Amino acid sequence: MREEILEILEEIRPDVDFESETSLIDGGVLDSMDIVAIVGEFNDAFDVKIGVEKLVPDNFNSVDGMIKLIESLEDED
Amino acid sequence: MNKNILEWLEETSKKFPDKIAFEDVENSITFSEVESTAKHIASELVKHTNVRKPVIVISGRKVLTPAVFLSVVYAGCFYAPLDVTAPIYRLNKIIENTKPSLILCDKDNFEFAKSLEFDGEILIAEDLMNTDIDEKALADVREQSTNKDPLYIIFTSGSSGTPKGVQTAHISVMTYINAYSKVMKIDENDVFGNQSPLDYIAAIRDIYLPLKHGASTFIIPKQYFSTPAALFDVLNERKITAVGWSVSALTLPTKLGAFEHTKPMYLKKICFSGSVMPCSCLKIWQEQLPETLFVNQYGPTEATASCTYYVVENKVEDTDVLPIGQPYENYEIFLLNDDNTETEKGEIGEICVRGNGVTMGYYNSPELTARSYIQYPFSDEKEIVYKTGDLGRIREDGLLEFHGRKDRQIKHLGHRVELGEIEEAVKAIESVEECAVLYNKPKEQICLFYSGDATAKDIAKHLRATLPGFMVPRKFENLSELPHLPNGKIDMQEINKKYILEA
Repeated sequence: MREEILEILEEIRPDVDFESETSLIDGGVLDSMDIVAIVGEFNDAFDVKIGVEKLVPDNFNSVDGMIKLIESLEDED
Repeated sequence: MNKNILEWLEETSKKFPDKIAFEDVENSITFSEVESTAKHIASELVKHTNVRKPVIVISGRKVLTPAVFLSVVYAGCFYAPLDVTAPIYRLNKIIENTKPSLILCDKDNFEFAKSLEFDGEILIAEDLMNTDIDEKALADVREQSTNKDPLYIIFTSGSSGTPKGVQTAHISVMTYINAYSKVMKIDENDVFGNQSPLDYIAAIRDIYLPLKHGASTFIIPKQYFSTPAALFDVLNERKITAVGWSVSALTLPTKLGAFEHTKPMYLKKICFSGSVMPCSCLKIWQEQLPETLFVNQYGPTEATASCTYYVVENKVEDTDVLPIGQPYENYEIFLLNDDNTETEKGEIGEICVRGNGVTMGYYNSPELTARSYIQYPFSDEKEIVYKTGDLGRIREDGLLEFHGRKDRQIKHLGHRVELGEIEEAVKAIESVEECAVLYNKPKEQICLFYSGDATAKDIAKHLRATLPGFMVPRKFENLSELPHLPNGKIDMQEINKKYILEA
């Protein structure tokens, strides 16, 4: 899953080193348009629905946060 | 008519001394504190400046910043705010164009200010707050002022690669704020939710409406606009009643399903501008907030934020297109053909603006100014009007419609972007041979097509260092060769057809 997530992220923001960033939202690295794009891609790629309640900094500040988020949504199915 | 916008602050500070003027998540500042803070700083500033000169201000997204702007005004100067998140390269260009005598920054930005290419004096606002107020010196400065004196310079994208500084007088800002207040029915009970960066044109509403009415502005942290549930929660916590936001700030919550979480229940007045509002989005807002006033606003920085407005009277349908409406009070709109003759009734022409809202021109750029700020063609009296570069048509009922741009300027996420400026920045990269930047409007995506050995990562990294983030393309396509027209120019239409429309 990590590889797939990184691929999506790199496509959207080729300039960001996602492996090392841990403050993508709080540090203002990703903007709102990035989030819209990322949520759309994740929903398609992992067949999940990321609801508005899940759009909190902790879930998007780092790749690890995103993996946790998607795993939790997959478990719900 | 007031002669100086500070009179608004002084009247309101007398009437509501202890009311909060500006608030952020950590701090707040009352009207009397805004006045005294600005005066303390100005009392030292006046010793370092001459009247009617620019002072560059570098100050963060917080309640102190409006007071720092106003301190410059108390000193008889005009402020030129810099976006601290913009690349240094761009900021240095702005400094080179503005040639300020000094930079005024907040404590947090002092080291940053020192890193800029500037050999003049750098003063720290917090240090100057300890200066005793020198009422006499400030009164002397005020004595010399008129409402045609400049209040600020705000920078906007320029196609040649250098930002243009739009210099604006007190009278223009007062005209706009008065007119906006009437349309939006603003009063002292309003609480504004500020979205715009404080150095950006849209922030003049959030800064000056409180001063005029005794209302308050809450500065919303930027990251809340990426997390719409938190955004709606904070609108409710702070009981925000009125916003003047970019269209994208209103479309994002609907795209991400924020209404499933909650409704901003105190929000009664919504003005949107910056780009065309999709009615499919407005419809959702209208259904969720049936009692709220919705106003579509149109206009460039050069016309002091805006020049026309349209009050949305009916419930919209998905496919409706909103008109941009009628001119604000003390603004006039007319349409011109390419040869500066008047456009026939019902035909499309370039939207031109006349009246108090027309700004003073591009600072230190007389040639650029002369191109867009022209003599009013229908009068023998000396009068300058502004040609927007936007196309419009006046409907049978007298309302103005928007019909796109004459040139390659786009509106992206509420920001004005010259595609040519991005191309200039890409051309500076050695491993790029040729490039073309196009806008994919349905996807709201800036796309770069280029030839050469550079990777997308190389280019993105370089551009992040030279352009503001919203101007960096989000799609990179490396072509073996760009298509050309017989005259040797890059064939933009072919690229658009092959890689955007048909992709």
